[in-house]
Amino acid sequence: MSQILAGWLASFLRQSEFIVLMYFIAVNGWYLVLLVSAYLEMRRHMLLISGESRWRLLSSRLSPTITMLAPAYNEEATVEVSLRALLALHYPQLEVIVINDGSKDSTIEVLVKSFDLVPVKNVYDNVIATKPVRAIYRSRTYKGLVVVDKENGGKADALNVGLNFAHGELVCAMDADTLIEADGLQRMVRPFLHKNNVLASGGTIRIVNGSTVESGRVSVTRLPRNMVAGFQIIEYLRAFLFGRLGWNRLGGNLIISGAFGLFRREAVLDAGGYLHDTVGEDMELVIRLKRRSYEAGKPGTIEFVPDPVAWTEAPESLRILSRQRDRWQRGLADVLWRHRDMFLNPKFGVTGMVVIPYYVFVELCAPLVEAFGLIGLVVGLAFGMLDLKFALLFYLTAYGLGTALTAFTLILEDLSFHRYERFGDRVKLFGLTLLENMGYRQMTVWWRLKGLWKFLRGRKDWGVMERKGFQSKPAAP
Amino acid sequence: MINPRILDLVMQIELGLLIFSVVVFFAHGAWLYVISQRHTRQLVHARTALVKIIAGMSQSSNDIQVLKHLSRNVKTTAFLEMSRNISGDAKDRLRMAARTAGLVDAARDYCNSSRWKNRLRGARLLTNLDERDDIVRKLLRDPHPDVRAQAAEWAAIQPTPAVIDDMLALLGDSDTEFRFAVQDALLRMGPGVVIPLGEYLDKSDGTAAELGLELAAAIAEPRFLAAGLLHSRNEDPSVRTSAVRLLASIGSDESKNRLMEALNDPVPDVRAAAAAGLGKMRHWPAAVQLSKMLADTNWSVRRESAMALRKIGGPGMLLLQRAALSSDASTSDIAQLILDTPLAE
Repeated sequence: MSQILAGWLASFLRQSEFIVLMYFIAVNGWYLVLLVSAYLEMRRHMLLISGESRWRLLSSRLSPTITMLAPAYNEEATVEVSLRALLALHYPQLEVIVINDGSKDSTIEVLVKSFDLVPVKNVYDNVIATKPVRAIYRSRTYKGLVVVDKENGGKADALNVGLNFAHGELVCAMDADTLIEADGLQRMVRPFLHKNNVLASGGTIRIVNGSTVESGRVSVTRLPRNMVAGFQIIEYLRAFLFGRLGWNRLGGNLIISGAFGLFRREAVLDAGGYLHDTVGEDMELVIRLKRRSYEAGKPGTIEFVPDPVAWTEAPESLRILSRQRDRWQRGLADVLWRHRDMFLNPKFGVTGMVVIPYYVFVELCAPLVEAFGLIGLVVGLAFGMLDLKFALLFYLTAYGLGTALTAFTLILEDLSFHRYERFGDRVKLFGLTLLENMGYRQMTVWWRLKGLWKFLRGRKDWGVMERKGFQSKPAAP
Repeated sequence: MINPRILDLVMQIELGLLIFSVVVFFAHGAWLYVISQRHTRQLVHARTALVKIIAGMSQSSNDIQVLKHLSRNVKTTAFLEMSRNISGDAKDRLRMAARTAGLVDAARDYCNSSRWKNRLRGARLLTNLDERDDIVRKLLRDPHPDVRAQAAEWAAIQPTPAVIDDMLALLGDSDTEFRFAVQDALLRMGPGVVIPLGEYLDKSDGTAAELGLELAAAIAEPRFLAAGLLHSRNEDPSVRTSAVRLLASIGSDESKNRLMEALNDPVPDVRAAAAAGLGKMRHWPAAVQLSKMLADTNWSVRRESAMALRKIGGPGMLLLQRAALSSDASTSDIAQLILDTPLAE
């Protein structure tokens, strides 16, 4: 009896390993399509921006007004530098709204002191319902600065408060600790100036760890010594340079990073702003905007623009990173569940027929399939159902194409923006690409599985993020 | 069971890809280094020659020869970076140098290319050099939108009646993208645009009229008064709002009277634009009516009215202070908010 069971188990393992391998090949095959698409899009984009003059935008009376929405929660250490950098962005019509989301530290005191703020009458246009606003401040020095102090309600609630105060034609949602490059807005506004149906545009997020920050600007780009942050650099390059850029050409962008995204204000207000009861509020808003545009019969586009850059600090501890990834996966699952009627629904065009199924089968299910494959491999080896050579070959085959694709992403980065110039950084990047699949990736699978499990149990908390602060001196060579 | 030989084959392919990517990555790095060294040296020569030429310090053919013998990429980079920072006589000298160095001819060839990327390059070069060459005008109808957008930028330096007509046709075309490039170029064309734009406004309606009115408001020329008055009674609220903004930018007595009427418009956006316009013109006779608008049902109207009162100065401030004591909460709140707002605003 036990022999029959063992035989059945061995056969099941072999069959399932085959399915898992096919899944890996199919997913990586699709990634290959995205990579080619990203390459073509990058070539086009580099041509469009080379020799482009943006002085017309800077000096025109017709440039659209942009309102920056910067939610801050316990940011006393970085808020002054970040806000000064924000106020110094090179854009002609700029309004900045900082929303203190019930910080427990002295964020508001730092702001009041540093920016010469005075309280004004606490009255505003409550278009979107939010947690109560405690106080409103205006600056005696900076004309376009508004600081809103409100009760804690999470990032989505803070952004909604910002939307209630915003006057710009476009609103830029960001994190208070994000460092936007000085010409970032000029670059990110480009799709809105060129096309009539753009709902939102997003820029590239890069990781600041290891780089030098001076007066709120990244002056020297370096790789961090910390491997966890290094792996995230590889992940971000892959996500932005071939994921989003590749989807751009195929018309299927669905994610605008919460750390740096530009939206048409009217469209966001008409949609009712950000949802409070999800941890994937940025993706949810984008899908809702896209969905509403299809329902209105005028499909809008979500554009990714690779050259505007915002720098963010990546977690360097596995504990904090695990919380972030768990939250991202919960957010993804929640958003896809909310908009499940779009799945394979031709009414929603490419979004319904290609993009949402991609997110379900690849982004959502990947950790399940990967975990299943890995467990199968370990069990097969442990019980002698698979030999070591086969197991090794399987592992290398499954992850090999992904590694090669990541290496091509590095080439794409090198061909375009070429931010990591030093030879040592090149070697490090390649080393990280090879090492990523030997432990780090498997950890992310575990964190994502935990995220899925928590989603099924209905957990909607954010978890605590800890910031180390920006490095003001360059790392030793 | 998967045949290990298939796995072996897939592995070999993947390994090949990986090795290829490593070679490309590092080879590209080395190539970039070599090119940048050469490029930098050439650019230094080009910049030195160009600076002498545009400063009028050199009539020597040596500098032109230096430029002629540079690669097209270096030449293009050097001329483009210089062109962004100069105007007037210096720009004229730069343009002459570009002609002599063969860059203008190259740009013309690019404009005739069957590849849109080359046409874009050509149009961009001619735009940055302020080269008034009609070859770019043809590109206003190019099949590729990015080339059309670049040609629209070029149009700003060529404000001839024919080009203005083409640009207004683009402005009125509902399929036209890159509206900013078209509107901004028309704005920069100067006084030559006023009469054709006035005629355009007389004939257009809907979105086309709205875009024309936005442009007219940015130009702020009294000759648009008739068009502003006409469209301020348009059925479409967006057109009325744009017309009210135009009237506010003109600032004549007729405009002021019409803006006072527009304070009673049924659409809040129009009322808010009228209030903002009266504040912009510091039209103190409107102060009493504006103070009544502080009780409007719409937030934007209340806010713009309060801000207008503050801009009006003495009488407006007096009315704001009185409104701050009003028993009507929405009136007193908005008045107090604007009174509290520091003068930096």
